[in-house]
Amino acid sequence: MTSEALVAPVPAAPPPEPVARIGPVTAARPYAWPYDGSVPAARTALVCIDWQVDFCGPGGYVDRMGYDIGLTRAGLGPTARLLAHARATGMLVVHTREGHAPDLSDLPANKRWRSRQIGAEIGSAGPTGRILVRGEPGWEIVPEVAPVAGEVLIDKPGKGAFYATQLDLVLRSNGITHLLLTGITTDVCVHTTMREANDRGYECLILADATGATDPSNHEAALHMVTMQGGVFGAVGSTDGVVDATTWSSP
Amino acid sequence: MTTVEADPGPFSFDPATTALVIIDMQRDFCEPGGFGETLGNDVAQLRGVIPPLQEVLATARAVGMTIIHTREGHEPDLSDCPPAKRNRGAPSLRIGDPGPKGRILIRGEYGHDIIDELAPRPGEPVVDKPGKGSFHGTRFGEELAARGITSLIVTGVTTEVCVHTTVREANDRGYECLVLSDCVGSYFPEFQRAGLAMIAAQGGIFGWVAPSRALLAVLHPALEGTPS
Repeated sequence: MTSEALVAPVPAAPPPEPVARIGPVTAARPYAWPYDGSVPAARTALVCIDWQVDFCGPGGYVDRMGYDIGLTRAGLGPTARLLAHARATGMLVVHTREGHAPDLSDLPANKRWRSRQIGAEIGSAGPTGRILVRGEPGWEIVPEVAPVAGEVLIDKPGKGAFYATQLDLVLRSNGITHLLLTGITTDVCVHTTMREANDRGYECLILADATGATDPSNHEAALHMVTMQGGVFGAVGSTDGVVDATTWSSP
Repeated sequence: MTTVEADPGPFSFDPATTALVIIDMQRDFCEPGGFGETLGNDVAQLRGVIPPLQEVLATARAVGMTIIHTREGHEPDLSDCPPAKRNRGAPSLRIGDPGPKGRILIRGEYGHDIIDELAPRPGEPVVDKPGKGSFHGTRFGEELAARGITSLIVTGVTTEVCVHTTVREANDRGYECLVLSDCVGSYFPEFQRAGLAMIAAQGGIFGWVAPSRALLAVLHPALEGTPS
């Protein structure tokens, strides 16, 4: 290579785009999240867990088990707001869906047995299609927080979003180190996913107002557990806390 | 099959394909003067687990069940410790710091090992785990598969952290889990109650819960060779 090539003219760089950072979320408990002060939005993922008709829609699985879906729908408004914020700030947006293959080949026997015991057998016909089966109306994400083109969809056979899915690979491939968690239900799928994420080294914030459970006391206990021992699984925050802790700067 | 009266309903298992899992009964969590106590926790809340768990362990050994112990901890160079785990919450004592029973949560240190009352015997796998769950980053799943295990009897500490995370992992993998209510412990009575309630909720969404006496009642006759 000649020295001429080394000094070839470089086109003028476009003015830098402003970059969003999240944190510190000072109102988070038990510490101002994240532990490392703040994080670029580009290294943060908003994870929306199981906002499916089966869990928060009329005629879905949770409705059929006799629970009040008002409790599982309470977080939809804050989650919609977080989605708009994540899209505006350039976070990775991930949606998860719990469900099984139509032939139920990925359904553990005890999970099937248990759903039958409670009167809503996975794979059986219901008002919104076959319960918890991929492709059925009840398995779809509700319109209030529906994915848009380009967002990541993770189909999971269990409660945790990491087991038997590509989630960890997707997050690492996108340089994600920090997670904001929304979804239902707080004590089951959100908590299992938060525990899995924490063991894998992701720094997690669970959004209290953007989650919900079939039992309010389980919701509260699950959030309280996160705050023990200095934040054993991460921290608990709110939608306002995240939005208010967002700053823009030149890269 | 052997059946134990449990919440939310009877738990049936074959002792030949069932493992007794004893989670993190380590000196640093359970003994006076250990890491747990230096954080301000009341270790008496955990020590109540030891006598019933000793009886369950002795019975499981006599019956010939698979027994697996776990320990939470990290490599001495901390290469397997996520920075968030070590640094969040501005802890007064961090993982790897010198503690009353050796470096905190470091493999090979005195405080990291299992308490004498429940010491593993030769042939019983001891799984070292870097996180709260027993499956992630370990050979726990392989140890179970190699022995044809399909059901787990889960004991140890703490109920809402490592026990719960392990039961959640196991449940997603299709294992049937019975949690022994008096053989799991928490520093916080509120979480002991809530943690057990969450397992049996919604028809047993993560598994079953029973006191150790319900298990011993069905294992002791098996031990004497009479049909159970």
